[in-house]
Amino acid sequence: MENLQGPSKSWQLTVYPIFTVLGWILIGVALLIGLFVLTPTAIDYFGGNAKAVRDSAEAGSAVISQLSTLASTQRWLEPLAFLGVASFMLGIALEFSAIPNILKNRGQVMSICFPQIVQNYAE
Amino acid sequence: MKVQIPEEKAPFPFSMIEGMMPLYPWIAIMGWGFVLVSLLIGIFSLSPAVSTFFSDSKAVREAAEAGSAFVNANVTAHVLESWVPQFKFVGLGLGLLAITMALGTIAKRLRGMGWVITGHIREDLRPKMPSIPRRVRYFQFSALMGVMILVAALIVGIVLGVTVVPDYWSHSIATELNPAQPGSALLQQLETVSSFAKWLNPLRLTGMAFLFTGITIALTVIIGALKGQADLLIGFFNRATAN
Repeated sequence: MENLQGPSKSWQLTVYPIFTVLGWILIGVALLIGLFVLTPTAIDYFGGNAKAVRDSAEAGSAVISQLSTLASTQRWLEPLAFLGVASFMLGIALEFSAIPNILKNRGQVMSICFPQIVQNYAE
Repeated sequence: MKVQIPEEKAPFPFSMIEGMMPLYPWIAIMGWGFVLVSLLIGIFSLSPAVSTFFSDSKAVREAAEAGSAFVNANVTAHVLESWVPQFKFVGLGLGLLAITMALGTIAKRLRGMGWVITGHIREDLRPKMPSIPRRVRYFQFSALMGVMILVAALIVGIVLGVTVVPDYWSHSIATELNPAQPGSALLQQLETVSSFAKWLNPLRLTGMAFLFTGITIALTVIIGALKGQADLLIGFFNRATAN
């Protein structure tokens, strides 16, 4: 009698949830920084100061600090959020990569079971 | 012998989602169309508006009065930039939704195949079909949530694009916008105009995250169905050969 077994455990199916969770963390961090750091800073900077004040702000002033935050944070925050997107895609690719092995096993199981199905065919 | 596949009706609103699942090629085409429209708007409307605005020196374009070609071009550019990126992301979201729907359709067909195979097995040896996994509802919900967030972002973009954004930019930069003082209506509008993208852009990506999660869960359903079918067949084989 043939020894029938399910598909072997693949490393991809162990690892993919890490990347899915990582995707959520990175995008979540980007959303929180956007909501609670950049938006209030932009509101304070643009709404709280006339253009003349913004343009003439001295080094070390709060206005310059706000401008620096707005200009520099965006430079790394967007790639961080897109790393989150890439993490999701990597997780999905890992899941897809596990399917051929599962299909191969499913085919083998079916080919062994087929004579038994024919023998025990429902009338 | 023809096996009758039982109709497994999902509760509302999932029944509606499942009914729409076979439409995934059209949803994908629609998503592609949205992105194409964004490109066309960029080429034929946004780009000419920006070109018009930058066609003269800084002093001239900033001194231009409300109603002039420069100010109108600036308004057009800013209005388009408030909603076209959200529109583009709805297109991308529809593409991801189509993938989720296609995976859902595959999972449903696999289940149908399971019914057919087990239906051909003698009743006393017939494996019992497992119930539909709860994860099916999760991926449907996640995909729906993702599209709803992207549509909400588009609505926010459109609302801003017909209210604050044109109201603010339809002024002369040098004589009205630049001299605006704290507490004035213009600076309050500038607050909104300069800050909305800071939270709307990550919100869009959150919508995408829900869609990616939907695809991830849909794949686990397919993988689970394939493994489950192998397990059912193995169980059947063991019972059949034990007799």
